[in-house]
Amino acid sequence: MPSEREFQIAPLVPESIQHNSKTLYNLQSLTASLFGVSAGILGLESYSGFLFYLVFSLLTTALLYVFRVAPGASLSSSSSASRQRKGVLDTSLYFRSPYEFWAGGLLGGLAGYILTWTLFYGLVRA
Amino acid sequence: MAQVPVQTIHRDPQLFYWILFPITLVMILTGVLRHYATVLMASAPKKLDQRAMREQRSLAHGVGVRSNFHVLSRPSFVARRDALTTAYESGAYLKDPERRGQAPPNPMSDPSSMDGMMGAMKNQMAMIIPNTLIMSWINAFFSGYVIMKLPFPLTIKFKSMLQAGVATKDMDPRWMSSISWYFLCFFGLQSVFNFLLGNDNAANQMAQQMGQMGPQGGFGPGVDPDKQFLAEAENLAVIEHYSVLDGVEDRLLEAIGV
Repeated sequence: MPSEREFQIAPLVPESIQHNSKTLYNLQSLTASLFGVSAGILGLESYSGFLFYLVFSLLTTALLYVFRVAPGASLSSSSSASRQRKGVLDTSLYFRSPYEFWAGGLLGGLAGYILTWTLFYGLVRA
Repeated sequence: MAQVPVQTIHRDPQLFYWILFPITLVMILTGVLRHYATVLMASAPKKLDQRAMREQRSLAHGVGVRSNFHVLSRPSFVARRDALTTAYESGAYLKDPERRGQAPPNPMSDPSSMDGMMGAMKNQMAMIIPNTLIMSWINAFFSGYVIMKLPFPLTIKFKSMLQAGVATKDMDPRWMSSISWYFLCFFGLQSVFNFLLGNDNAANQMAQQMGQMGPQGGFGPGVDPDKQFLAEAENLAVIEHYSVLDGVEDRLLEAIGV
């Protein structure tokens, strides 16, 4: 964790971080509904359905990381000292914590997923 | 353990057209309506008179100086701190200086604080009234049907909740009645509203609660501004000043690797 003094030297802009999290939340809730549609059409039940959701939402986040977050992070860390300190899967350029980036949307999208999953399962199968 | 045979119930496909789609449509449209009702009912922020505004902003100025002292150089920080603390302690920024030291007025009698309470009441009403209306509408028209099957198993405890109005003992708790579809819609439609109305919509209760926790700004009811000023003066006085530019040459040389 960087100290308070390092935050003062390189401050974070709360509005931008909020905008980033909002964009991430939008993406995750929308894709969760769409995954629900596909799980319902495939007729997945109980554990396999939840596993489907877990795998595909993590896949979405990983794709977002590979295509949007990683290029910017490697461009910006020009100084060698800051590159050494940060790991491979670093999200601190755009988000507050790696937990928020990787797992924050899982619970938020779950309700939408269950809704569309139930609806399409009911329409197609039951 | 013997395998329990899967229950199948033959239902009229008309159930989908006359129960499922109406409930979903009504839920979505109510969310849209609630969003626009909240937008229309939102009262514009009341104009404060000059002295009240000065009281608020000067306190905010003190907080700003206190939390951003590291970007100021030492002489300019000292100048700001001295000016602010003398003004705070003499009560120069107070709205009515002659009422210094008296008890704050009762918040219920102050018309400006009544306004905020009315706004919160209105939001609550916009939530409660449509929900009770829709629930009683569903109970009156659609109770007693089984419309869908959940794709995941549940324990027997959910039976009374999901199959309200369907008094069949041996039915699997996965079968759900119309009222449980209502609850699913209630919790799961946020993403649909995000898609339809944009991110800052007021269609669901989650967004409403987030809005109420927003920054209030200024003084809450029943707080003595004079005491706040004195506390802020004390906070400013104890700051141990340093600047982010202290030792910047060393950091620069280290960064370019000399």
